[in-house]
Amino acid sequence: MATTEPQTENPGRARILERLRTALRESTPRPLGAEGRSIFAPVTDVMARFQKECAANITECIATPDMQSSARAVADLLAALPPGEIFVQDSQALRRLAPEWQATRSIQWSSEGGPKESAQATITSAEALVALTGSVLVSAACGGRGASVVAPVHIVMATADQLVPDLDAAFELMRERNTVFQYSYVCLITGSSRTADIEKILVMGAHGPIRLIVVLALHHD
Amino acid sequence: MSHAAHEFLRSAAEKSADLAHRQIIRRGIDSYNAANVRGRSRFLDWEAARLRCQEIKWEAVNNLDRYLLEFEQRVKDRGGHVFWAENSEEARQYITDLATARGVRKVVKSKSMVSEEIHLGPALEKMGIKVVETDLGEYIVQLREEPPYHIVTPAMHLNRTQIADLFKEKLGDVDTDDPQQLVAAARRALRRDFFSAEMGISGANFLVADAGMIALTTNEGNGRLCTSVPRIHVVLSGIEKVIPRLQDLATLWPVLATAGTGQPITCYSTLAGGPRQPNEVDGPEEFHVVLVDNGRSELLANVEEREVLHCIRCGACINACPVFRTVGGHSYGTTYMGPIGSVLTPRLRGLDEFQHLSYASSLCGACTDVCPVRINLHHHLLHNRRDAVNASDRPWSERIGFMLWRWAVEDARRFRAAGWLARLGMRVVHRLRLDGTLLDPARPWNKNHAAPPAPAKSFRALWGKRNGNN
Amino acid sequence: MAKAALFIPCFVDQLTPEVGVDMVRVLRRLRIEMEFPEEQTCCGQPAFNTGYWSDARPVAKRFLQIFRNAEQVVCPSGSCTTMVRNFYPELLAGTPWHEEAIKVGQRVFEFSEFLVKVAKVTDVGASFPHRVAVHDSCHALRELHLKQESRELLRHVRGFELVEMPYSEDCCGFGGTFATKFGGISAAMGDAKAGYAESCGAEYVTATDPSCLLHIDGILRRRNSKVRTIHLAGILAQTAPRLERRAQAPATEGAR
Repeated sequence: MATTEPQTENPGRARILERLRTALRESTPRPLGAEGRSIFAPVTDVMARFQKECAANITECIATPDMQSSARAVADLLAALPPGEIFVQDSQALRRLAPEWQATRSIQWSSEGGPKESAQATITSAEALVALTGSVLVSAACGGRGASVVAPVHIVMATADQLVPDLDAAFELMRERNTVFQYSYVCLITGSSRTADIEKILVMGAHGPIRLIVVLALHHD
Repeated sequence: MSHAAHEFLRSAAEKSADLAHRQIIRRGIDSYNAANVRGRSRFLDWEAARLRCQEIKWEAVNNLDRYLLEFEQRVKDRGGHVFWAENSEEARQYITDLATARGVRKVVKSKSMVSEEIHLGPALEKMGIKVVETDLGEYIVQLREEPPYHIVTPAMHLNRTQIADLFKEKLGDVDTDDPQQLVAAARRALRRDFFSAEMGISGANFLVADAGMIALTTNEGNGRLCTSVPRIHVVLSGIEKVIPRLQDLATLWPVLATAGTGQPITCYSTLAGGPRQPNEVDGPEEFHVVLVDNGRSELLANVEEREVLHCIRCGACINACPVFRTVGGHSYGTTYMGPIGSVLTPRLRGLDEFQHLSYASSLCGACTDVCPVRINLHHHLLHNRRDAVNASDRPWSERIGFMLWRWAVEDARRFRAAGWLARLGMRVVHRLRLDGTLLDPARPWNKNHAAPPAPAKSFRALWGKRNGNN
Repeated sequence: MAKAALFIPCFVDQLTPEVGVDMVRVLRRLRIEMEFPEEQTCCGQPAFNTGYWSDARPVAKRFLQIFRNAEQVVCPSGSCTTMVRNFYPELLAGTPWHEEAIKVGQRVFEFSEFLVKVAKVTDVGASFPHRVAVHDSCHALRELHLKQESRELLRHVRGFELVEMPYSEDCCGFGGTFATKFGGISAAMGDAKAGYAESCGAEYVTATDPSCLLHIDGILRRRNSKVRTIHLAGILAQTAPRLERRAQAPATEGAR
């Protein structure tokens, strides 16, 4: 994995650590902390909360009864997009559903590499859906890094049992799955790209996807 | 007076009188304030969130060596490299050496205040490497060849017409001042750069020790493209950005977003910890984290000032500051502006040259009120002032002034006499119509105010009269 | 109620004595016994704020000596009260006076704070039939956590109309030596404040801090503004003329 390094020497490292250790011989008093106070109100209805937050952060959320219906919903979405290939995460589940789309679109699978600039849309799974903020948690396992950022439209195919109440639960899930030690990249996506750098006016569609669409199946099949 | 102080006074005077500037900033801040109020209401207990964040940063900073080593090990486990730079020069050298060795001709940059701090851009340009800022606000000020006006919204001092004219001149394919179209133009232009750059440089909002990952938040997605597409990803971060656990982000991410822009959470909250792994389909071939000291370890050693290192660079204090709103971000002439800049810069770059920033405050305390990690910012300004005085670095006129003041207030009779004399002087100056002129000892006050009337009797005289003198 | 020791800020004593006089009028009307420790001069804030802590220390110790035996101390200024309560402990840390600083600090009150929280009075029998905006002085607001107290007191003033000024919590720009060292910035901040005062239709601007009012007043008059300033004590000291009072519902008897 390692390539030749232009600089292997780092004498500053030992000096910095020495300075830090010397500095920290004197401690500062520990602050009070939150002492068990609740920071967020607990999420009671994950589905309702997720949909409410999606509406607020402008994530399109389409509920379907099962994955096959989801696949058809995605086909409808694709029909409305300009012609061009789509990029799909190479997973068993998505391979099974691909026939719904192959008739009208050429598919570039993630196993062949990252999405090309010309991709009109990407279709991926997710690690989890977070209700508190209406967010989609993806990792490099969800079709790679580019899958959720390169194309103008990102479609996430998920199931209701992937909903978790809040960020604490999402990180707990990651811990159980050892996500950060299997992969080098995780992203919590909340809505489609945007900026308010011009006169503080919110403009949707900056460098990332212009549309984020979550197709949420209530059951697997 | 240092050169920096001169420049500050000059720019501050100019901007203070600029009513158009005041209006633009007022509107921007009002917009932020409205969003921030909404944002805080999403928390059940915002104060509890602040206390939690303060605690997290306290733990991180007071165990800095341990958590940095943990972070480093986990990054290396994934095949990444960590370089510890003692100062700006070492950090620049590492990155320029790397870029040269790898044949890098173009760099795309996601926002990094540390890159401003170490003046990385000019160093790369000097080697013939093109640097492209990809955060829209940074991109705009880069085209204008000026520094960022604010650490979170770098172009908040410009209106859409100015940006449209800029794009028309530099990009060519723009003939409108509609923000939607302007953003689309930037997207088109920067797309080319994302896909042709060999190196992406990003900052880091946090360095997560137990995961060995950097946390990077952007709304635009430029940070994600910089760290996904080019074959080399370099992270530049101050050493103080470390946090102990991934779990800590459950509070820090919403707090940073709320304090920074009023959002519940930033659009892309990313974690990156290494080059592309064997089980991944894409990603950079190399991952380098450059940890920058540049005076931070010294600040750590100053126990009284250590909490200043807790700063998460949200910009809330800058937005709350009435001095910032009056003089604008460029007047400071430093990488970090507003209250955090006024506290930090003298400590990192020298009290002798930058103490004026700590004095340029009315100590209103709004910054301390809004800081999400509860740094007692205005108290630190007072400490900076005290240390400047103790270093005997103040103008002699001020030192003499306070010697006289102390002499006058340590004795009630001297105080009464001094007060009587002052009031007499005010009456004389006023009668001779010298208020505000060069002959008026109170000129610094009277040149901006209508002179206050001088009372005939002091309170104590009136009290004595009514209650009988003892 | 215990006797109240009057802490009259140095510049109030010499430049704006009417603020002290008005505070005394109100306390007298409420039959609160007062004393004025004549040895007092200044709390030391100017030196402390400018970084001259070794000059501020002996002045602080002197203040504590003068007021150490007072059961309660009243001060018509949020910033001077803040100096004693919030900053003396830090200034005198590591000296034998540290404990005293904490103790005395707990017994020093800003005027509106004293009336509402200590004397437990919100109606002082005042009358001031005008439209008035309240400027929230920074120290009172953020260091002493006072905002509602002055408004409570003003709500009970006969004929009083409270006008909420936009950005009432924005600093006026005085900041002590800041006003002379960075006069351009200070004046611009005061100018903004003056503009808000004029735009909200108030006849007067009031505050707990006479230093803020000195600054805002100087700028308003420079602008030839119709808006005037008056300290909170100044409003509370006003009562209706004897004729009118007889026609009203029973009000607190007060001396003139």
